[in-house]
Amino acid sequence: MSALHPTTPRFKQNARAALADPNIQAAMSHAQSGFVDKRAKARAKLPEFDALRDAARDLKDHTLANLDLYLERYEAKVIAAGGHVHWAETAEDARRIVLDICQKAGAKTVNKGKSMISEECGINDHLEANGIRPQETDLGEYIIQLRGEMPSHIIAPAVHVTVAQIEAEFRKHHTHLDPDRNLSELSDLLAEAREVLREKYFQAEVGITGANLLIAETGQSVIVTNEGNGDLSQSLPRVHIVIASLEKIVPTLEDAATVLRVLARSATGQEITVYTTFSSGPRREGDPDGPEEYHVVLLDNGRSGMLGTDFQDMLRCIRCGACMNHCPVYQAVGGHAYGWVYPGPMGAVLTPSLIGIEQGGHLPNASTFCGRCEAVCPMRIPLPKMMRHWREREFERNLTPGTVRLGLGFWRYLCTRPGLYRRFTGMTAFGLRCLALGKGRIRRLPMGGGWTNHRDFPAPQGGTFQAKWRARR
Amino acid sequence: MTARDRILDRVRRATGGGDRVAVAVRLGHSQAQPAPIPAEAQTEGAARISQFIDKAVAVDATVSRLASLDDLPAALAEELRNRNLPAAIRTGTDAAFERDWGTVEHTTGPGRLIEPATLSRAHLGMAETGTLVLASGADNPVTLTFLGETHFVVVRTQDIKAGFEDMWAEWRVRALDPRTVNMVTGPSRSADIGQTLQLGAHGPVALHVFVVDS
Amino acid sequence: MSNPKPPKVALLVTCLVDMVRPSVGFASVKLLEDAGCTVEVPPQTCCGQPNHNSGDRAGAAALARTMIAAMEGHDYVIVPSGSCAATVIKDYPQILADDPDWAERAKSLAARTHEIVSFLTDVLGVEAVAARFPARATYHDSCSGLRSLGIKAQPRTLLASVEGLELTEMAEAEVCCGFGGTFCVKYPEISNKMVSNKSGHIGEAGADLLLAGDLGCLMNMAGKLSREGRPVQARHVVEVLAGDVATPAIGET
Repeated sequence: MSALHPTTPRFKQNARAALADPNIQAAMSHAQSGFVDKRAKARAKLPEFDALRDAARDLKDHTLANLDLYLERYEAKVIAAGGHVHWAETAEDARRIVLDICQKAGAKTVNKGKSMISEECGINDHLEANGIRPQETDLGEYIIQLRGEMPSHIIAPAVHVTVAQIEAEFRKHHTHLDPDRNLSELSDLLAEAREVLREKYFQAEVGITGANLLIAETGQSVIVTNEGNGDLSQSLPRVHIVIASLEKIVPTLEDAATVLRVLARSATGQEITVYTTFSSGPRREGDPDGPEEYHVVLLDNGRSGMLGTDFQDMLRCIRCGACMNHCPVYQAVGGHAYGWVYPGPMGAVLTPSLIGIEQGGHLPNASTFCGRCEAVCPMRIPLPKMMRHWREREFERNLTPGTVRLGLGFWRYLCTRPGLYRRFTGMTAFGLRCLALGKGRIRRLPMGGGWTNHRDFPAPQGGTFQAKWRARR
Repeated sequence: MTARDRILDRVRRATGGGDRVAVAVRLGHSQAQPAPIPAEAQTEGAARISQFIDKAVAVDATVSRLASLDDLPAALAEELRNRNLPAAIRTGTDAAFERDWGTVEHTTGPGRLIEPATLSRAHLGMAETGTLVLASGADNPVTLTFLGETHFVVVRTQDIKAGFEDMWAEWRVRALDPRTVNMVTGPSRSADIGQTLQLGAHGPVALHVFVVDS
Repeated sequence: MSNPKPPKVALLVTCLVDMVRPSVGFASVKLLEDAGCTVEVPPQTCCGQPNHNSGDRAGAAALARTMIAAMEGHDYVIVPSGSCAATVIKDYPQILADDPDWAERAKSLAARTHEIVSFLTDVLGVEAVAARFPARATYHDSCSGLRSLGIKAQPRTLLASVEGLELTEMAEAEVCCGFGGTFCVKYPEISNKMVSNKSGHIGEAGADLLLAGDLGCLMNMAGKLSREGRPVQARHVVEVLAGDVATPAIGET
């Protein structure tokens, strides 16, 4: 799987493999209860939490309605501060722009803060193909870089990796360290990662970070982190590249505060992350540190195409991960099964917009519409409704499997004819009862393997309610 | 047509183009804040300072209170001793740090690969979350904030604001315009290993705040 | 609580109850009549939820019109299913929003429709039932009822009044059981994982009776419990509230 080669069409096979993988199953069940409890506690401690979600939704809707003006204002501020703004229509454009900046800077190594947009655009692979080494510095991203994987969660990239697997990876790659060293404690592993990455912070010519927010009022880009890696990646190299998609914009510092109040609480249950950094441009006169060049790459890659459609609300997403943290489907199969960059409910809605419904169709279909995602989304995004809109698109374009279309057509025909419906339901109730052979349950339904491979089918009681009701009255 | 033009054109066609008046109003701050401000972002007086300290301690910062900056060198020397750190401190050129440091060796400049203890001054603080608000620059280089193994920060009681709103308001009044504004809340941490929280990821392993009353 | 005029209620029995478990319908009628309603059962088919959720907009609209026409002329329309009730209450007005002949009728039906347990407690003010059903029961919060209609406390309030019934809460009672209509057969392995988790929690709660307000969920969970050989019966909550001890549990004879 990579940004350029989604495996989303093989979602069912991916899911099957993930369900059978003991490492993934152990890691996922351990992770999810933590996220759910932490968010619940954070929400309980802030009485204004739900009102803030409404306000965050409203400010984002206002921003999207005026997106062109806010983007222009943001750009003007960045330029005034001595930065450069590059507009990338597609992922390919973003790759080209980033490579160009890195090559001009003579970069041999590029340090990376965590950026899902850089994953979406396949930045790392492109740099490597052109002889430049990308160095991930976020601990989770570092771990998956060693493993040659993509992130499986949008804020906890290595959530699918067990501690034992991390130790194995460190031993495999940190060959300069004593092979007999003790790594039995979690703190040993963290200390080793800190030590290994420390020097690397000083070795890159370019640092790339994402942006949780872009602020139009001030032209600042904002990153929220706990590790400090994003800040070191942008302060030490000579060149700082910020890569962010269009919809990250908010109007003012106060609007940023509203979003920040719901972001960390929804993601990890923290009131605020350890580091919230607002960056405005290259170093000022007299600064002893900081980059000499500041570049912002603004990415469209399908966002403008979502405005004014059934999927516009998805542009409110602040990438907190709460939806996937609460999704029973995500918990069952983990993020890699989704086959591309964005997993869980937000991935189910966004992926077809970005890679097409033909490739991405499984994701909005693999949902029970339980609604837990929408219930916890800080931006009040109606995720199940938008998944249903994708199913509608599929139906309109005849992408729904033939048997399903036939079944739905038959059901519609039947249910608009009550007399026919009564006869059919009576026969079905009778027929299924026969299949039960006098027992209460059916162990194997012919053509119903999807059900009876895993569970019994309770036999009908016999006779329909409506027939019995008419008989009584 | 450039990529910029094409993107903005697509946006305008989808939205009908933005409302310049509405945008000017929002950016001009002439209307009241539309979003609710939590009660915990509006504490006053002594309660505000206690809240700041409690919140900082809850995320593993340590805090001590000084009557004035004159007490800083002795207090810092004691902290370095208690933490088994060398008697040395690195700061920026902030005027607050131009003083006699006694037996503690004082150097100034940006952060280096090995940096046992650094000291910065925060312009402001936020009681809402126990957060320090620092500005990059020669006075307080940002690399000291992130490379110090133990990071000491000085903040004046009177500069501790209730929350984001009054903090930003004061920031604007002071017309500060650094390359970065760094909000710091506790020492660095990560839960990427086994989803278990640990302190001391890439930033400081320890954060100590001196709250100075004058 | 006595009304001058007994509320005229139409029972929207749901196609699943109609075909598979009529006793749920009869228990519903009993509860409504005990609470002072007159109950009618207009000839009806399906609310159209399968078509709506599968993206078949035209099919969903056709079934919505059929159901609206069938259900007119009553004070209330009562449904022993959170998901079917939510389809009428929340989805019908949107499905027919652009149909000038049906938009108002859809809104009118939505306003008169209620899930049965919440109707008894929230509209009729029923606080207790006169039923006896000795068992150690646990209640699964079906997703639509919980998140679309806010049904959480109401079944527990009424179950607390059932003589001999001890209610124990299971872990993750609010987490989806994996039914999801066609989901359970389109993605059977994932559905199996979800219902296995649920079955484990039911076992850990030490319950011998599983209750919920949606028959689809109940059939899914009952089927898993029986495949695993767990000694847990499954019934629809209205059957217990109506004191129906005689009818065999789901999947039993």
